[in-house]
Amino acid sequence: MSEQTWIDQRFLERLERLALRWRKSFPGLIGGRNPSRFPGPGMEFLDHRHFHHGDDLRAVNWRAYLRFEKLFLKIFRIEPHAPVRLLLDASASMALGSPPKFDYARKLAGALAYVGLVRLDTLMLIPFRAGLESGLRCAGGRHRFAPIVEFLSELRAEGRTDYFQTVRQFVSRFSDRGLIIIISDFFDDGDCSRALQYLADFGHELMLVHVWAEEDRSPPWDGRLELVDAETGSRLELDFDADARQQYTAAFDAWSESLRRLALANGGRYVAVPTSLDVEEAVFDSLAAAGAVQACSS
Amino acid sequence: MQFLNLTLGQLLALLATGSGLLIALYLLDRSRRRRLVATLRFWVAASRAPESRRRRRLQEWPSLLLQLLTLLLLLAALAQPRFVPQGAQPRDHVLVLDTSAWMGARVGGETLIEQARKLARTWLRSLPAGDRVMLVRADAVPTPATPFTADRDLLDRAIQAAQPSATALRLARALAFAERAQRGRPAGETVFVGAGRISPEEAIGLQWPAGLRVLRVQDRVENCGLRRIALSREPQDPASWRIFVAAKNYGERPHRRRLVLTFGGALVAQAEPLLEPASEQELSFTLRTRSAGWLEVRLLGADALPADDEALVELPALRQIRVLAYSRRPELLRPLFAAGTWASVEYRSPEAYDPTAPADLVVLDRFCPPAPPQTHTVWLDPPPERAPAAIRETVRQARLARWRSDHPLAAGLRARDLALPTAHVFAPGPGDAVVAEVDAGAVILARTEPFKTVVFGFHPLQTAMRYEVAAPLLFANLLRWMAPDVFGGREVRVGSAGALSLELAEGENREVKVLAADGRPLPFTIEQNRLELFAPQAEQVRVLTAAGERVFSLSLPEIADGRWEPPVQATRRVPARSSRRAPVTEFWPWLALAAGLCLWTEACLFARLRPASPADRSAAALRRRRTRDANP
Repeated sequence: MSEQTWIDQRFLERLERLALRWRKSFPGLIGGRNPSRFPGPGMEFLDHRHFHHGDDLRAVNWRAYLRFEKLFLKIFRIEPHAPVRLLLDASASMALGSPPKFDYARKLAGALAYVGLVRLDTLMLIPFRAGLESGLRCAGGRHRFAPIVEFLSELRAEGRTDYFQTVRQFVSRFSDRGLIIIISDFFDDGDCSRALQYLADFGHELMLVHVWAEEDRSPPWDGRLELVDAETGSRLELDFDADARQQYTAAFDAWSESLRRLALANGGRYVAVPTSLDVEEAVFDSLAAAGAVQACSS
Repeated sequence: MQFLNLTLGQLLALLATGSGLLIALYLLDRSRRRRLVATLRFWVAASRAPESRRRRRLQEWPSLLLQLLTLLLLLAALAQPRFVPQGAQPRDHVLVLDTSAWMGARVGGETLIEQARKLARTWLRSLPAGDRVMLVRADAVPTPATPFTADRDLLDRAIQAAQPSATALRLARALAFAERAQRGRPAGETVFVGAGRISPEEAIGLQWPAGLRVLRVQDRVENCGLRRIALSREPQDPASWRIFVAAKNYGERPHRRRLVLTFGGALVAQAEPLLEPASEQELSFTLRTRSAGWLEVRLLGADALPADDEALVELPALRQIRVLAYSRRPELLRPLFAAGTWASVEYRSPEAYDPTAPADLVVLDRFCPPAPPQTHTVWLDPPPERAPAAIRETVRQARLARWRSDHPLAAGLRARDLALPTAHVFAPGPGDAVVAEVDAGAVILARTEPFKTVVFGFHPLQTAMRYEVAAPLLFANLLRWMAPDVFGGREVRVGSAGALSLELAEGENREVKVLAADGRPLPFTIEQNRLELFAPQAEQVRVLTAAGERVFSLSLPEIADGRWEPPVQATRRVPARSSRRAPVTEFWPWLALAAGLCLWTEACLFARLRPASPADRSAAALRRRRTRDANP
């Protein structure tokens, strides 16, 4: 898949006005845009404290000294440079749908990576299946976008998904906390919510981008079906009709709702994106409405 | 019980096909279809218990049965079954309507064809509604105007559209056609409506079918008309036409009618013969003219059929072949060309030779011009040094051995042992045809390119041939070969439309064309030198053969001489309106209604888009509650 075929120049120009947002306060080096609760060299005033020996005299509040004849030091909010990790589900279930969910997810991942590149965020693109695959570190501005396109183009949707194993490997590999964007259909044999909860408990901020095809939510088939799980190969034989479809959709919606609650309960965000929605629309409407990205003036 | 649209076999075949298709679709709908899905998590929640699945499959068997029943009822409705009481089966009739030229005669304010149309419609109204009728228009060729149909409006329109043609009735053909059409069908009547005027020869051996009904029109009419006209040029005076006119009285009283002939609008001849009843009279006239024009022959006075009272003939102009003879002794040639009137000859001395002088034929008598003529040429004993054909040798005291009778120039020539004091023997080149030979070789050659050319190796008028009949015959053949169109157009015939038979001369049957007046080719056959063609309407026909053109003006209507007397077995009156047929009971509306009911029942009971009953809604709510409990 070439860059021309899935992200055009006009879309990239629109993406340059956006920036990735996170809510949590992460310690880190200065240079970011999202303010944290940690004090440090910043522009936004946070608090006063007593002056101690060795403090920077430039931060002393001289007006307060003239009034109270005591030295008070001004403390500012730091705007740290938090790491952004983009986890892309590359399992076999993502290959289904029309258009395939994986193609859609790749476009979405490319768009978010471009937003991070433009804003000079430190971003890492990591595909996962039964565990973490080797990722790509992206930084240095928009002219580094070509390697991302090449990396995404070479990815194939295959294998099983194991969220628990993936999260274990992630925690052990990346000790510093930051924003984790997971683009996936979240179909796992086990319960992926436990693994996601573990990730949140570790201090990361979760942004769950749930990509689903229409047939995932409302299968169009009727009659007697023999169903084969794309990842496990398990089979199920059943009769399917309008009532069963209604029941299926209700179960799917309930499960999506549980994912949304999990994300919100841990200070994160959840965005459900059907593949029938245009990628540009998904970025500028759904993701922006959820606060995952926001427009910047510069 | 009858099926109007389908036979029982067709109905069963359609039912078997439809049922097979329906069952195949049913089984296909119930067969397992494999689908690859992203996860089975939600499917497990939505799947039904095995017991209910089995029950559902069992419940859908009535659905299949209802669909099959619907199909059966619909097909049965399409077949249109009907109950016909015993003895009321519909029959197939053939209505033969006389549309011969005679039907255009007018009696008491209306024509015979109008009378026939009324009779036909009256007979049609007397038939039971289910009976089918085929209308056949009968003149020289029987033509079916409709198929067997019970549509009375269609038949009415076809009867109204029937018009008299230009040909006579061939009743035997029409009745035979009707018999063939009724073969293998529920036998009805063969009804003849018309005057029944046929030739006496046809009336002798006429066969009629069983169940014949004859509805005759009143055709006791007084009519006199032209039968035929023949024109030919006088052999002694080609500028004169001899005209034969035959007129006939078809009525029952004698009539004195005035016959006038006009040429180019001017009266040229007239007569007032007394035409006896049912007899024909021939009259002859002479018209002297060299020019072309239209000759109109009219029989004055009103009668029943005006169409046969006048005829128009196109006369061709008299043509002559222009001959330019270069000779030092014209007195030798003069008697030869003066024997006929078809050539106008100008004699000139060789010194006055002009290659551009207008002529159809140039005769070069022992003379070779510096430039060859640009037209057809006859070379008589040309000088050897500039002869138009290569001279192989010169023989003396030779005898003419043979004529090549396959060449038109030698046609009819038998003279042999003619002594030739001296003759040049030619070596024929490519394209040269040998006409006459001595033992040493060809002495008369003919060629066609670039102009028709005949070369004599001797002078025919300075030998003993001068005193033989072969000399004028040879030159007559020569002129006919050089200018065949001049000799055509000597005969013009005016006859009636219909079949035309023409005897062709020997060898004339090659390259024959038959054209209408507008240049349209007409179909014809040639069998044993007899040309046969059929002109269904009055028109002028040109027959072009190698011998020339013959014109036939087939502008008179063909009227037969005799009158058919129907057999005593034939019914002769229009039957009373039939009320013997009991009404036919149609079943198809009830079958269609039953099919609709079955379809509606199946849709209500088994269709997936059926409105949910309260019981269904409560069951669905219960299932949703269970799902929520299973996936909190």
